[in-house]
Amino acid sequence: MNNSTLLDLRGVSKTFGTTTALSPMDLEIERGSFVSIVGPSGCGKSTLFNVLSGLLRPDDGTITLEGNNVIGATGHVGYMLQKDLLVPWRTVLGNITLGARLKGKVTPENRELATGFAEKYGLGEFLNHYPSALSGGMRQRVALMRTLATNHQLLLLDEPFGALDAQTRFEMQQWLLQVWRDTERTVLFITHDVDEAVFLSDRVLVMSPRPGRVVDDLRVDLPRPRTLDTLVSPAFTELKARVLHQLHRERAV
Amino acid sequence: MTKKKLLVNIFGPILSVVVLISIWQSIVVWGHIASYIAPKPLDAVRSVTSNWSTLAPLTWWTIKETVYGYLAGALLGAFLGVILSKIPLMQRVLYPLLILTQAIPIIALAPPLVMILGFGVMPKVVIVAWIVFFPVTVSVLDGLNHVDKDLLTLAKVFGANPLRRFVVLEMPAAVTQLFSGLKIGATYAVTGAIIGELAASSGSSLALYQRSASGALDAAGVYGTTLIMTAIGIVWFLLVVGVEFLATPWQRRSTARRWRRGAKPVLPNN
Ligand SMILES: Nc1ncnc2c1ncn2[C@@H]1O[C@H](COP(=O)(O)OP(=O)(O)O)[C@@H](O)[C@H]1O
Ligand SMILES: [Mg+2]
Repeated sequence: MNNSTLLDLRGVSKTFGTTTALSPMDLEIERGSFVSIVGPSGCGKSTLFNVLSGLLRPDDGTITLEGNNVIGATGHVGYMLQKDLLVPWRTVLGNITLGARLKGKVTPENRELATGFAEKYGLGEFLNHYPSALSGGMRQRVALMRTLATNHQLLLLDEPFGALDAQTRFEMQQWLLQVWRDTERTVLFITHDVDEAVFLSDRVLVMSPRPGRVVDDLRVDLPRPRTLDTLVSPAFTELKARVLHQLHRERAV
Repeated sequence: MTKKKLLVNIFGPILSVVVLISIWQSIVVWGHIASYIAPKPLDAVRSVTSNWSTLAPLTWWTIKETVYGYLAGALLGAFLGVILSKIPLMQRVLYPLLILTQAIPIIALAPPLVMILGFGVMPKVVIVAWIVFFPVTVSVLDGLNHVDKDLLTLAKVFGANPLRRFVVLEMPAAVTQLFSGLKIGATYAVTGAIIGELAASSGSSLALYQRSASGALDAAGVYGTTLIMTAIGIVWFLLVVGVEFLATPWQRRSTARRWRRGAKPVLPNN
């Protein structure tokens, strides 16, 4: 483990009855990197996040975050679940500061931080709106701002754009990259969309089910900032082909 | 809400009441119905106004019984709903008892209550509370039991303790349900007060006033008293609806009311 390692998993495993959701897994995540996890549904992606966030206790193994053992703890990562889970009775501002409210009082600093995020990332006009008045893309932005506002270095995003239409999705990907660059966080990003994974990431992990495990780990050295041109570059296509091959080889067995 | 919708909402109910009273008036006038069987609506109103000095204190008592009983019942009901949902054992132990309380005919409740509490306001308050608490308990229990499980997971992700989770997520999530129970309770409350007055009054009360008007074949007095009781019921129900309206703005507004806003508006034209 070198200095730039933020997260370190050693032999982490989890089974549910007879299902091996995670077979013993080793994984190092570098601080500041953007890492995507792709794999068919049921291969243990969400389980990995649940274990990392402390919602589930692994059967075995160690998890070290910034040098601390975090097994059995919660509240050390920003975790955005598959559903946006905005609460309808709070405004956008109230939703972004929900984490602070759940831990105690919402301080003026919390509000300032939340307002700052919202204004910077296209939600400024909606601070006093209730979620019911927002579009799907806007809701995802709020959910992500809420995750950011907890000030954790590591963000776990579970298929955040899965329910969006293609055009909104591309806008949101660009937007997410901007947020990631500005805030210097480390992102673990689950998706089943190979294009999305390659487009966003420094590194793509391919998982396969039964037992859930990482079968490929590839670097994406495409230049940043990534644009529409990235999507049609030969290098992009090549990386995408490799991920697709991995996915389908596993599925064909 | 659009202007047109607002007008319909306000004038619709008024119109239906006016039509109803006109039909009543026409039937009595054109059907030559004797004044000791059914009065004209105006006579019923006149009976109330001309006897107001007698009726006012009685009305006041009924209002007090209704309001105190309702508030006590609502608080008790909400409290029981929380207890039942949070302590699984209580659902086994208490729930059958709660059903039992509702199986007892309310009229039969009065004599023991009089023995214990006398003839004052208390037995009526207890009867009202007895009727009101149940729908509130059921709705709160339902609301709390159906809070989105993922929302509870979210609380855990943020590292919230159970109390904060309850106050910040579960309670607001159950508010819509709570109000449906409170509204059902509000429609029953005045009925409970009148039953209490009939079964547990020695002195004077609206219910007894009506009974003696009936004995005297004073149809206008009978109907007039009914109007008062109905008015109390309607006003109370509307008050509860008003509180709901203020307490749950997100159900019909797209932005928070000005005084509830945590953020200053950032629109340049605002
Ligand atoms: N709480 C649980 N109890 C039992 N089985 C579970 C639970 N969570 C996940 N699983 C099982 O573990 C496997 C991996 O699930 P999951 O991590 O949700 O997959 P993914 O997110 O990749 O679609 C699946 O077979 C799923 O049925
Ligand atoms: Mg999943």
